[in-house]
Amino acid sequence: MTQLVVTGLHKAFGDHPVLTGVDLDVPAGSLTAILGPSGSGKTTLLRVLAGFERADAGTVTIGRSVVDGPDVHLAPERRRIGYVPQEGSLFPHLTVADNVGFGLPARQRRKAAAPLLAAVGLADLGKRYPHQLSGGQQQRVALARALAIRPHIVLLDEPFASLDAHLRASVRQDVQGLLARSGITGILVTHDQDEALSTADRVAVLRDGRIAQCDAPQDLYDRPADADIARFIGEANLIEGTLDSDTVDTILGRLKIEPACLASPAPGPDSPSFARSGPATVLIRPEQLEVLAAETPLRPLAGDRRAATPQELAGRVVAYGYHGHDAVIHVRPEHDRDAPTIIVRTLGGRQLPPGSPVTLRARGPVLAWPHA
Amino acid sequence: MTTAPAIRRPGSPSPPGGREGRPAVRARRARLPLALTAAGFLVAAVLALPLAFLLIEAHGAGTSAVLHLIFRRLSADLLWNTVRLTVVVTALCAVIGTAAAWCVERTNLPGRRVWAVLVVVPLAIPDFVVSFGWASLWTWVQGFRGAVVVMTLAVYPLVYLPVAASLRGSDPGQEEVARSLGVGRVRTFFRITLGQARGAVLGGCLLVALVLLAEYGAFEILGYQTFTTEIFTEFNVSFSIPAACALSLVLVLLSLLVLAGEGMLHGRGRVSRSGPLAARQMPPHRLGRATLPVLAGFGLLSGLALGVPVGASAYWMFERSAQSIGGVSLPAAAAHTGLYAASAGALDTAAALPIALLAVRHSGRLRRFLERSTYLVLAMPGVIIAFALSYFAERYGGGFLYQTAPLLVICYSIMFFPLALVGVKASLARAPASLDEMARSLGQRRLAVLWRVTLRLAGPGLVAAFCLVFLSVVTELTATLLLIPTGMATLSTQFWAYEQNLSYGQAAPFALVMIAVAALPSYVLGRFFDRDAHPRGDTVHARG
Repeated sequence: MTQLVVTGLHKAFGDHPVLTGVDLDVPAGSLTAILGPSGSGKTTLLRVLAGFERADAGTVTIGRSVVDGPDVHLAPERRRIGYVPQEGSLFPHLTVADNVGFGLPARQRRKAAAPLLAAVGLADLGKRYPHQLSGGQQQRVALARALAIRPHIVLLDEPFASLDAHLRASVRQDVQGLLARSGITGILVTHDQDEALSTADRVAVLRDGRIAQCDAPQDLYDRPADADIARFIGEANLIEGTLDSDTVDTILGRLKIEPACLASPAPGPDSPSFARSGPATVLIRPEQLEVLAAETPLRPLAGDRRAATPQELAGRVVAYGYHGHDAVIHVRPEHDRDAPTIIVRTLGGRQLPPGSPVTLRARGPVLAWPHA
Repeated sequence: MTTAPAIRRPGSPSPPGGREGRPAVRARRARLPLALTAAGFLVAAVLALPLAFLLIEAHGAGTSAVLHLIFRRLSADLLWNTVRLTVVVTALCAVIGTAAAWCVERTNLPGRRVWAVLVVVPLAIPDFVVSFGWASLWTWVQGFRGAVVVMTLAVYPLVYLPVAASLRGSDPGQEEVARSLGVGRVRTFFRITLGQARGAVLGGCLLVALVLLAEYGAFEILGYQTFTTEIFTEFNVSFSIPAACALSLVLVLLSLLVLAGEGMLHGRGRVSRSGPLAARQMPPHRLGRATLPVLAGFGLLSGLALGVPVGASAYWMFERSAQSIGGVSLPAAAAHTGLYAASAGALDTAAALPIALLAVRHSGRLRRFLERSTYLVLAMPGVIIAFALSYFAERYGGGFLYQTAPLLVICYSIMFFPLALVGVKASLARAPASLDEMARSLGQRRLAVLWRVTLRLAGPGLVAAFCLVFLSVVTELTATLLLIPTGMATLSTQFWAYEQNLSYGQAAPFALVMIAVAALPSYVLGRFFDRDAHPRGDTVHARG
């Protein structure tokens, strides 16, 4: 079980900077997902970790050895890192079994392939050639090949992107199980949040060439470090409010703030004792909102709306998306036609066509970032 | 593996040498491209030698003298001969090649597979053998008439091959869409089908034009005077260097014009496909009543292009005349040919490797320029390269290498470098860098990667590149005549000697051997490169 530590990694191509100071700590035996939009430098990061590119600055440490640093660059063939690229990259001139055994000494090649293929569910396909396999099968062979060399770390570059949707879930589970059973540290790179949140032990968000936040999926979702990350992970309602010690006043009334999790907008060397009062951005997740029974009468909205029903917000449905297991409703607040729509997620059932009047109420503590 | 010093935690003081909060960024350049680039420049420099020699000599002779030589009555005749032949033959080849390609690729012509082969094989027959075949049988095959017939039949496959490949790989769905939009069959053919194949047609025409500009043997037999035949005569017979030089400059200019013209006509449109690469096969057009005429056409084409040269050679071989003149024996000539061809093939493949590696793996502006510069060789017909090398080896090289086999091999290598480059690049395409990296990540050292992955995948392509040059040398005449060491002979020069002496019976076996040596490998190579362009089953990215 090997730990991976990256500090201050910089990498530019020509005068185009891609990674601008990546700090990452991957615990031994865990599966960490690096999440970021296309073009954010995810593949570059993996390639630096694998040794195909050399970092311009910073260090990469695997276990207790520095493999990439000011005076050191360990060649890829000596790092014992398994690399599974997006396209699989199987050797077209070798059979599946020969592919899997490629990294092993000649004596062990024949015997090692069969159990590995069985482990990825491709027991009888050893004699086939890569072009005779489907995309999903090729991906699994690539994984078996990477595992055959008993690597310290496995790097997976969007491994499920080329699979059909229904295959994706099962292959994902297989991979997760395989890595967990063998205790290999894994790093998975993806642009698919669902994948990252459901597969990994920790998720690192790569933004602007840096890791913006690295946490367990639950923590990342419930306590994003800033509004951008909140929007990036799942749906988010970001509304303005006024902080007052441990509560915040919003259009949905006075809401409690997550205790001990008051997030400040920008951690810096001189972390200010952030203001406990003043304007702030508030995060309310769609599933924290509930739609009250339609019979609840609308109060007149003249003047101070909070006076009438402090914890409720009246609005009209703008869009209703039915997904079977739940429904996503976009609501425009009644009091302000120009305010951004509020996204609500409810269990399905009640049909609410556009134009229907609804009343919303927020549940549970919320996250707030004071304005700088 | 070195052990780490105390690991820096984020937020700790930055290392010395950098500004506060910003670590010193150091660029670490890989060393390999530097060596490759140097090798590439060396190769490009050698390729540029003939042109450099030409310009030096022209400058030495004096601009006014050169201009005087260029603007003679003779030049006007040569220009007229060259240009009108090029235009007519190129047009004919474009029509024949495209029509044949369309019939084979897009219709239900019976025996398509066989016709596809028969239509291409004539390319393997050297042009001077084709000319010999026709001229030896019929006396009307002379001058402009003869040249048109002979050259059209000899080089139309140069248009057929790329157009056929293009039609095979292009998206037939576009035709269906055009028809659904109400465009009639004929207009669809001209606007859509030909439009897609436009690049291929232009590329083929370019090759035809360049071959015509460089042809010597065939025209000499037919008594048709062009720049190339005149340069040959001025150099080899009259030893008039300035005249040869002046004419060469004009010829090079013409070739550059052709190259530039093709580039401009090519336009900026790209033949793009949307959707998955594995093409849905569209049902072929039904020829219906046109089947018999088309079949007859193909039969006629094959008969004329293939049947006449081979038949004539066979005829003369069995029709031995009483006289026979002395000369190098067939086995000896074949041995020399094989030796020169193999040497040139090996040299060219090795020389093409650095430039191809740079172009494919480490692309950059400088390296692309390097690659483009090597294509300038296409603008220099063999006669010019041979003449430049020979003259300057004698005059400036102190006789070193003059009239020696190594110089001949170097000349071949320069002439056929673009062919080798195309082949080597195609072979590297089968061994992408990503597979090399993958092998390294699996623990293989660089040498093991080269042996187990790169060479295994690129090997067949490298062999194909070697074969391309080999075949071209076997069928080459002009430069060989100029540079061959005295007393030695190749298949082509010995054939030429017999032919010029009208000793057809002795010339015929040489012709047949050359055809046999060139034909079969050409077919195999054609299939190889075709598979490269349109991989069907053997690609890594198969979708399930």
